[in-house]
Amino acid sequence: MISHPANGLDDVVHQRVRLGILTVAHEARRVEFSYLRDTLGVTAGNLSQHLGVLENAELIAIEKGYAGKRARTWITLTKAGRAALAEEIAHLKLLISRVEHTGPTPGS
Amino acid sequence: MTSESAHPADDPHRLLSSTRDLVRQVRKTQRATWFPLLVFAAVTFGAIPVYEAGGHRMGACVAMSGGRVCSAAYTAGLVYWPIALVLAYVAIAAFYIRRSQARGVGSRVRPFVIAGIVLALVATGAALWALHHPLVSGQGVWLARLARPSCAIGLALLVLAWVERNRALVVLALGYLAVLLVPITFGWVLRGWTFLPQFLIDGSILLLGGIGFALAQRPWRRAA
Repeated sequence: MISHPANGLDDVVHQRVRLGILTVAHEARRVEFSYLRDTLGVTAGNLSQHLGVLENAELIAIEKGYAGKRARTWITLTKAGRAALAEEIAHLKLLISRVEHTGPTPGS
Repeated sequence: MTSESAHPADDPHRLLSSTRDLVRQVRKTQRATWFPLLVFAAVTFGAIPVYEAGGHRMGACVAMSGGRVCSAAYTAGLVYWPIALVLAYVAIAAFYIRRSQARGVGSRVRPFVIAGIVLALVATGAALWALHHPLVSGQGVWLARLARPSCAIGLALLVLAWVERNRALVVLALGYLAVLLVPITFGWVLRGWTFLPQFLIDGSILLLGGIGFALAQRPWRRAA
């Protein structure tokens, strides 16, 4: 039996904001909370929730510190996070290619 | 969590395209190509008075049919380039670190700085070696051109282009290297200033490249 690519999607990663966090953290060596908030266009509270989900899944590491007198929160991608991101992108590409290959279902 | 996954924004096409947009946006924020180019231009132009003041030294000679071929080097250049380039890379690293802290997004500048310093030291070592081992064959002359400090800058720029995923910089670095490897003569030489045309050309390419990238990467363009 062939598994549908959608079955391989991880609910923790398969979400716009969380996938965005992983993508930005992957491109940058580390990324600051306010940059993520502004880039992803979410509120601080909403971003904190998503960061919490990713941190609990050990996909990111959160480091708090100071730059001068300003408190800063830096996010870095873990090894598991890098693997999860690569897997999600591969699944998304597979899903898209399958949809494009088979075409729309009758009545849709 | 299930309801979040069913959001229309989570459809594969949109997710993948927003991921690509994010990657582009982060890379734009990270790029500061103009700064290393302007620093290298300053280092190249700075070499002109150093070479002029330092004079040159004859190295080893080898007998050839019909005479002798001797190597020669601008002694001040052997000291100037390693010091100036290491200081340049320290300044570039400090600039990128400061910028990444200010913008809230890190950049992977370390491979560029390490590669640049290694290349600068290798170029200096090659120049010292060539002083005692005259290169007389066509290949030798070509190798001597490749081991010049300016070439070390060009190769380091290719590393920066890879770090920044910057195709425009790849083109500039390859063009710069091509100019370095092709012998350029204007048919005139100021006595004691044989280095001048090459330094003027090298420095001008870096300067113009730096200005071009500064205009393309200026902050108000990003906001537009």
